[in-house]
Parts: sequence; C-alpha cells; structure tokens
Amino acid sequence: MSQMGYVYLGWAVTGVVLAGYSLRTLLRGRKLTRSLPPQERTWR
Amino acid sequence: MSTGNVTTRVLGIAALATSAAVAVLGLTVTPPDVVQGELVRLIYIHPAVSTIAFVAFGVTALASVLYLVPRTRARRWDLLAGASGEIGVVFCALSLATGSIWGRPAWGVWWTWDARLTLTALLCAMGLGYLAVRRVDLPVERRSMLSAVVALAILFVVVIDHYATEWWRTLHQGDTLERFKPLIHGQQLMTMLLSFVAFGLIYGWLVIHRFRLEQLEERVETEGLDHALAARRAEAAEPGPAPVSAGAPSTMEAPRP
Repeated sequence: MSQMGYVYLGWAVTGVVLAGYSLRTLLRGRKLTRSLPPQERTWR
Repeated sequence: MSTGNVTTRVLGIAALATSAAVAVLGLTVTPPDVVQGELVRLIYIHPAVSTIAFVAFGVTALASVLYLVPRTRARRWDLLAGASGEIGVVFCALSLATGSIWGRPAWGVWWTWDARLTLTALLCAMGLGYLAVRRVDLPVERRSMLSAVVALAILFVVVIDHYATEWWRTLHQGDTLERFKPLIHGQQLMTMLLSFVAFGLIYGWLVIHRFRLEQLEERVETEGLDHALAARRAEAAEPGPAPVSAGAPSTMEAPRP
C-alpha cells in the first residue's frame, strides 16, 4: 500500500467510527426520549 | 424528539465545519513532510484523537472526585463520568487504530510493545473495565462509588502514558507541539491546531448527548423498577384463589402406580 493509502485508511477509520458512534448515541436518545411525557421532551 | 437542543446544534455544525476544514487542509492543501512524506497527514488526526482520549478520561476522573467528596456528591457527576468515560474509550481505541496505521509504514510493524503503545492499550482496557463496572448489578450508590475509584486508577495511567516518551526510551516520537518550540510550522502547525479544535468540538457535542442519554437511561431504569414494584404490590394485594374444599378433587394428585 502507498503512503497515501495508509493516510486514507486512517482518516476513513476515524470518520466511520465517530459517525457510527454519534449515530448510535442519537438514535438511542431519540428512542428513550419517546418514552417521556410530551412536556418533558425538550432539553434546556 | 432527541437529546439535542440549540446548543448541541450549534456545537454540531461548528464541529462538522472545522472537521471539514481539517480534512481539506490536511489531505490537499498542506505540503508533505521532508522526513515523513505523505504520512505526515496522519498528524492531523492521531495526536488530537489521543489528546481527546486523555481529556475524556480526565473529565471522568474529575467528575468522579466530585462524586466521591460528600459535599459535592450529586447524581449528575456520576452520569457525567460515565458519559465521558465511554467517549474516552472510543477515542482511545481510535488512537490505537490510527497509531497502528501510522506505525506500519513508518516503523515497519503494526504493533510493538513500546511503553507508550502498551500504556495506551492498558488505558483502553481499563476504560472498558470501567464501563463494565458501571453495569455491575449492584445498588446504584455502591456501583457509582466503585466506578469512581476505578476512574481514579485510570487517571493514574493517563499521567504515566502522557510522560511515557520522556521517562522511557520509546519508538514513539516525542511531543510534536513542544512548549514554545513546535517541531512543525506554517500550514502544518495551523492545521494540526485546528484538528485539536475540531476533535474538541466533537467531544463537547458527544458528551452533552451522551450525558443526557445517561440521564434518560437512569430514569427509565428507575421508573421501570418502580413500575415492576407497583405491579408486584398490586398482585400481592389481590385476593388469592378460594381455598380448595376437602372433598373437591385436587389437580395436584400424586400419580397412581
């Protein structure tokens, strides 16, 4: 693999892991927020 | 319907914008290095990711201290510690992954038992252990106290890991951003500093969402337990089945030979 191959691999791994973790956090938050009464669903 | 609000949206947009700027600058605008060639472009990820892992574990330890001290003890400190601890593990794993990807072309190996690498792997394992302790089936107070003590042990490893390249002869290079005399300059230095801002914003955005998620999870856990207890009490209060009379046939008769 060329040097740029390793560079792209490093950037891709970082992007995919952070995007995946962020998405998981958001979806779980969305799912649990639905279980709250409507008046308590906003965050100040 | 989510854990977001105006603050997180602003933070999220800022994180995305700075990350995009770092990607453009790091992958296309900045020049290759005289010694490291194109591999220098990994410097715009790896040091920032590793630093954020340290910061995340530092926040976990600080929040744990605030939880351990009786005067400042509050549930929010334990929840913040848990939120930051999980993000710390993610960033620590990324630090190991990106370091390994850099090490293969630079050193010729994916992994070596160098002091810095070994301590970072230990840190990652301790972070996973911390998350496991947070899920142990114990009363909430006791579990929080136990995990707070583990968080302090993690901080101890963070400090040793930070100074590993100074205290031991390691294959890993020393600090690129040494105080007052950085080893890189110009566009490279600017992009590297911007990468710290970008990953810092990502951490800030993530920790707010993860903290709110911890609050929701605890609430669901507590209310779920309350509902289960209420149902059990209601069940116990209900009148039981009528007693079976002496002459009535029993459904529990022993089998006849």
